[in-house]
This record gives sequence, structure tokens and C-alpha cells, in this order.
Amino acid sequence: MKLPALILAVAALAAAGNALAERGLLIRAAPLKQQPFLDAGTVAQLPASSQVDVLKRKGAWMQVKTGDGRQGWVKLLNVRTGGARGAGGGLGTLGQVLSTGSSGTTVTTGVKGLSAEQIENAKPNYGELERLKQYRVSTQSASSSARGAGLKAESVKYLPYSRGAGTQDDAQMQRRGG
Amino acid sequence: MKTITIARSLCALVLAAALPASALDLGKLVDQLNENPELVEAVGGVIQNTIDANRTVGPKEEATIGDGLAANLLGAAPLVRNAELQRYVNQVGQWVASRSEQPGINWRFGVIDSPNVNGFATPGGAIFITRGLYQRLRDEAELAGVLAHEISHVLARHHMRAIQAGKGREALGSALQGFISYKQSDARQLGANAISGMSEVFVRGLDKDDEHEADIRGMVLSARAGYNPYALVSVLQTLSQINPADSTVQLMFSTHPSPGERLNKIDQIVGDRLERYSDGVQATSRFYPAR
Repeated sequence: MKLPALILAVAALAAAGNALAERGLLIRAAPLKQQPFLDAGTVAQLPASSQVDVLKRKGAWMQVKTGDGRQGWVKLLNVRTGGARGAGGGLGTLGQVLSTGSSGTTVTTGVKGLSAEQIENAKPNYGELERLKQYRVSTQSASSSARGAGLKAESVKYLPYSRGAGTQDDAQMQRRGG
Repeated sequence: MKTITIARSLCALVLAAALPASALDLGKLVDQLNENPELVEAVGGVIQNTIDANRTVGPKEEATIGDGLAANLLGAAPLVRNAELQRYVNQVGQWVASRSEQPGINWRFGVIDSPNVNGFATPGGAIFITRGLYQRLRDEAELAGVLAHEISHVLARHHMRAIQAGKGREALGSALQGFISYKQSDARQLGANAISGMSEVFVRGLDKDDEHEADIRGMVLSARAGYNPYALVSVLQTLSQINPADSTVQLMFSTHPSPGERLNKIDQIVGDRLERYSDGVQATSRFYPAR
């Protein structure tokens, strides 16, 4: 029986977190950079649909290893990981591994919580609402805590978003490589 | 308030039929009736609720309704019993919210005890993320990204709009009638049925555009707060690795565009436009590790 071994492997993957298991797929051709900067040297030009292993993330970049062992950086947004099924979504390497099991589902805790049914059948709990209030912090406290964590406020304008505009076709997405 | 005298009349229906231009816009109709109180005559019931649901909901009413919705979510899953974790999440959330156009809302943040992966925003400024989602976050920038998404729902009044647009409209009407009749300002007086009806919005979900808008505005809020805004991209990549058949993501996946679709929209609208902020804070020593 191969099944128990698979379940163990899946459990191990889940326990090890993303670092070990994360696979990605390039949604467009992109340069593999030596450093996480646009003007860094180029290791290679990776074609669209290249598969990569995700090593780590930094800023808007992701360090990856290609199938033929080259290492470098690509933009986060050029990569889809896991089983994303949206247009231009990933190959689902990991998803496929996980769905090879008998039930096709991943390891879960087996406890259902906060399902649609539970929300529909819930009764308001005002005691918990009071408790929530007790954890509230003031803006002053949050600001000073943020400073302590090294956070600095920036001025950034909202980006225009027009509702009802469908997802652009892949052609446009291809144009903005890099 | 003037709106109190609205339309307790069958005239409403007659007028609606007689004015085709206004027939589709009950809000306008309500305005007209407000100007002509003599037309108004009591009928009550569904018509009353529908008309009430169309009037402008004031900030106080909205906050009370929001608290009712928050109490209901807490009835489905209580807060994680960990004051340190809850305080920490409030520090991060309050800081991000303070960088928004409405820092003065009664912002409160909580981690609720559910293995499901999800986040919830309520109109009064109470925001929840589940333990299941919290445990999948790598660092503080990712937490800030998730909270900023929820904060953006509150700022844009997405849930109130959805409720008014039909997902819980009658329940809203009955809640608003309560405000008028009893001058109530405590969520406890809203009535469990009205709250339950309005809570449907969490089960049916918002429009896709609301979710994309919250992603994009949330990334800007994160950048304003000094975080790497692309941390949200990492969160969505994490979510895309969860098998959609997994019970812990069923509600989130049924109420949101797929992570891949959200990433595509971020790619399209944000792209590299926030890149100058991508060297913002990612990990912090105060990050509270998930257990």
C-alpha cells in the first residue's frame, strides 16, 4: 500500500511549511536577475511557463531556482504558485501532488469552524463583543508601537480602480515583463 | 430626522408606477415623499422596510448595525483566548487604519478561534481574521496586508452597500425601523432576526469588484503604513496553494474571486507602481508567532 507513505509525505510537506514545498510557474517571459533589482545582471531569460522552486521573498521579488539549477530573482507578480486556477494561473504542481490522495483533499484538522451554516445559525455574542473592545488600542499607542517596530509613515495616493472593467487579456499582461 | 416621516403609504406604489423615471430609484421616491408628507399614510410591513432600507444610513446607525454583525460572527467563533496576540493584532491594525482617510472609526481587531481561513470586516470597524489564516502568515507585513484589505472594505462601505442592494435588505429595513421607533443605539436592541438576515452578506459574499478594490486600496494603505505592499501578493500565493476542496477554505473561496484571479488583477492595476515602497518593513521582532 502506497497510501500511508503518501499521507505521511503530505503531512510532512504541510508541517515543513512553504519554504520546502513551494513551486512556482512563470506567467510570462521574464529575466532571471542576479540580485532583486531591475538593473542587476541577468542570469538568463526565462520563457513563459518556466517552472521554478521558490527559495525566498524580498520586497517585490522572489528568489527562485530553475529546473536546470540556475538561481536568481524574478518579480513576485510574474509567478503563480500552487494550484491557482485563475486565468494565467499556476500549473498546480503542489496541488496535483496533494490531490493524488484517495480523497483528493489536503490534510485538515477535521474541525469545521465558521462555515456558512455556522454563520447562519449563530446567535449574537455580546460578551465577546465587550471582550473585543478591551483589546482595542489607541492611535497614539499604535503609532509609538509602530515606530518601535521600525515603521515609517509614507504618503501614497490611491491607485485608480475602475469597477466593472474585466480582467485584461494575456497579451497586455505579456507586454509588461521584467 | 426628516426621513422618519417617509412613505407609510400605498401612494408610494401609485407614485412609483406613475413616475417611470423614478420607479427604479426608490431613493428618489423617498426624497419626493419627504417633501410631500401629506401623501404619506401608514401601511408598514414590507413596503416600509424596503423604503427604509433605501434611505441614507447614518454613521451611528451603521456602527450599531456593524456591532450586531460583529457579535453574530463572534457567536459563530469566539476570540482566541490570548490577550497578547489580540493586543498585537490591534497594534498593527490600528496603525494601518490610522493611515487611512477615516482614522477616527472605532477600529477593533480580533483573531477568532476557527481553523477556517478567512477574514471579515463589519461596518462599525470591527475586523476579524481567523486563527487558520493567522497561522499561515509569514510576517507582520503579511498581517498588515490582510488587515488593510479588511479595513478597505469598511472605508468603502462595501458591506453596507451590499446589504442595501439586496443581500439582507429587508432585515436592514426592519433594523432601521427599530432605530426610528425606539431611538435605539445598542446592537442588542436590533433583534436577532434582523442581525441574522443582514449576516447573510458574509455567506453570499461581496461583488468581485469590491474584493479587487479592497486588495488594491489595501496595498496602498500598507505602503502608507511603511510596510512592503507586495506582502499581500505573498499571502495570495499562500492561499492559492490550499486545495479548494479543503473544508477550511470553502467559505472564503466561495465568497472571493480565486487567489489567481486576484493576483491577475493586482498584476494589472498595481504591477510595479508601488515598487518604490517594496523595501518597506517585512518582518518585525514584535510579530506574534502563531501556535
